[in-house]
Amino acid sequence: MRQEKIKVLWNKKLAPFYYRIGFKSNKYSSAKPGQFIMLRFADQINPLLRRPFSIHRLISRDGNIVGLEALYKVVGKCTKKLSMCVEGDIIDIIGPLGNSFTTSDNYNNVFIVAGGVGVAPMLFLASCLQQNTDVSKFSVFLGSRSKHDLLCKDDFSRLGIKVLIATEDGSTGKKGFVTDILETSIKENHPDIIYGCGPTAMLKALALISEMHSIPCRVSIETIMACGIGACLGCAVESKKTPEKYLHTCLNGPVFDTKEIKFVNFL
Amino acid sequence: MKKNPDLEVSIGEIKLKNPVMTASGTFGYASEFKELFELSRLGAIIVKGLSIEASKGNKPPRIVETPCGMLNAIGLENVGLEVFLQEKLPFLKTLATPTFVNIYGKDIVEYAELASRIDDIEGISGIEVNISCPNIKAGGMAFGVDPESAFNVIKAVRKSTAKTLIVKLSPNVTDITKIAKSVEEAGADAVSLINTITGMSIDIETRRPKLANITGGLSGPAIKPVALRMVWQVVQKVKIPVIGVGGIMTPEDALEFLIAGAVAVQVGTANFINPNATIDIIEGIEKFLIKNNIPKITDIIGTLDVEG
Ligand SMILES: Cc1cc2nc3c(=O)[nH]c(=O)nc-3n(C[C@H](O)[C@H](O)[C@H](O)COP(=O)(O)OP(=O)(O)OC[C@H]3O[C@@H](n4cnc5c(N)ncnc54)[C@H](O)[C@@H]3O)c2cc1C
Ligand SMILES: Cc1cc2nc3c(=O)[nH]c(=O)nc-3n(C[C@H](O)[C@H](O)[C@H](O)COP(=O)(O)O)c2cc1C
Ligand code: FES
Repeated sequence: MRQEKIKVLWNKKLAPFYYRIGFKSNKYSSAKPGQFIMLRFADQINPLLRRPFSIHRLISRDGNIVGLEALYKVVGKCTKKLSMCVEGDIIDIIGPLGNSFTTSDNYNNVFIVAGGVGVAPMLFLASCLQQNTDVSKFSVFLGSRSKHDLLCKDDFSRLGIKVLIATEDGSTGKKGFVTDILETSIKENHPDIIYGCGPTAMLKALALISEMHSIPCRVSIETIMACGIGACLGCAVESKKTPEKYLHTCLNGPVFDTKEIKFVNFL
Repeated sequence: MKKNPDLEVSIGEIKLKNPVMTASGTFGYASEFKELFELSRLGAIIVKGLSIEASKGNKPPRIVETPCGMLNAIGLENVGLEVFLQEKLPFLKTLATPTFVNIYGKDIVEYAELASRIDDIEGISGIEVNISCPNIKAGGMAFGVDPESAFNVIKAVRKSTAKTLIVKLSPNVTDITKIAKSVEEAGADAVSLINTITGMSIDIETRRPKLANITGGLSGPAIKPVALRMVWQVVQKVKIPVIGVGGIMTPEDALEFLIAGAVAVQVGTANFINPNATIDIIEGIEKFLIKNNIPKITDIIGTLDVEG
């Protein structure tokens, strides 16, 4: 974990409200998928608190990791300001933080499920899986409101992973929720594990589906955070195994086994 | 080259190498920050509020950002005395910085028992008694808003320990100087102020409070002027050292408190935003003293000129 003031390399609009921002840093070579950063605008107090963002991709040049990317959706103060950043701006980040998605080289079939901006950590996960395993039988399920906010489809395809799509308005892929197309695929082809990230309602559904079909399931969750390092205790999550005490997203997560936690509204 | 200014101050029996402490609940048990800066440079560390038994704390959401501040309703979640002594204290003992344990209880007996159980433990320099947490139902602020209850709880704690005793005061009162005077009379070695100011925030779409606890404690830059005013008022009424807390982000903020008469300061919310805030503040104070040819920090404490 480090605090650094680093340069913005680029800030590209992917779709209305969605951006990919690159940061220059050589401190992320051992970062793992699922880990996050806490970001603030150097020396500014509006917004006051740092905001958490998943590591979306590592940037490599000549075999060295020279930076990282975040994929974000503009929802409020910080993300709006972030969308106006340009190359050369200085951002203050702490990272890499939190645990990661545990993977195994022995998986024959993996399902990755991403809803909306929840796709952010999943591309990093997919590219790590692809380095060590044959991913041609793996599937990624992308869910979004419409074709306009469907993200990273081509990136997953390029890794050689099958992409299945559901949109709420049916403008591309199957009309409905991403969990609907997931259930159909599970019946055809039982996966070794499901990895998920997205809105709480989607994660709740994943917890149910994976339990019903006895498939291990790990998800990255979002809670409000003030510090990201275990100091504020703001990021409490209700635990199933130890109901007498809370887990903390920044310390015990953000990746949890769906059997470990209770899916109440985190935010 | 000029000699570095002397930053040493005293709180009760304890000498601090500089007047910058970390505020309880914003610095965990210090080890959380060990990769981010050299912890031994701190004047003192005050750890998260401790109770005899572990405490779960309030339901989430527990935090919301507000203009220039934040509301929290953590509800004093903590690991309890035994786990603190077994798992947290050994690391703190390795640091060349005094540790103060912030304590709370649900009644006077519990406050006194916790103080007496800490009394002979090596590696704990002093106790900060929290009679001002706005986020729990039993204990906490109930003792801090009434001069007589404050006197009684501090009297009982004083009897239970010979360690340096700081009492943390609540701003959620009509006259904070009355509480300060009564805890001084009860035997406190110092007072620290302020704890958070009770507040709330509402989501207008769902018409629900943004905190599960409905209300929370406001901290950060938004509360600095209130904290500063209260410190200045209390300094004039008590003889024991006053420790300034509330919205301190920069060396300039800390200097305002020192000039108002605070002997030391605590940095809270700023630790979340800039984990190096305490170090920046220590270095900034030092630079200020050098620039103004002030040899000792104590030469600036309480030098507010109200005559003009
Ligand atoms: C571990 C983790 C990883 C994350 N990764 C990403 C990511 O890769 N890309 C991305 O776009 N977003 C991610 N988020 C969510 C992101 O942190 C929030 O969108 C961001 O904090 C909003 O800040 P804001 O100032 O723009 O919005 P605000 O003005 O603070 O709030 C606007 C809305 O965002 C919600 N919000 C505020 N804080 C959070 C939070 N910590 N988490 C979720 N929602 C929040 C509020 O409830 C409100 O509805 C992640 C969150 C966590 C906890
Ligand atoms: C998340 C959080 C947790 C806190 N926990 C405690 C606590 O356990 N005990 C206590 O006496 N004060 C606690 N406080 C209050 C701070 O120590 C401090 O008095 C207050 O935040 C004002 O200072 P600041 O504006 O610098 O943060 C807490 C504050 C915050 C923000
Ligand atoms: S965000 Fe502060 S403890 Fe997790």
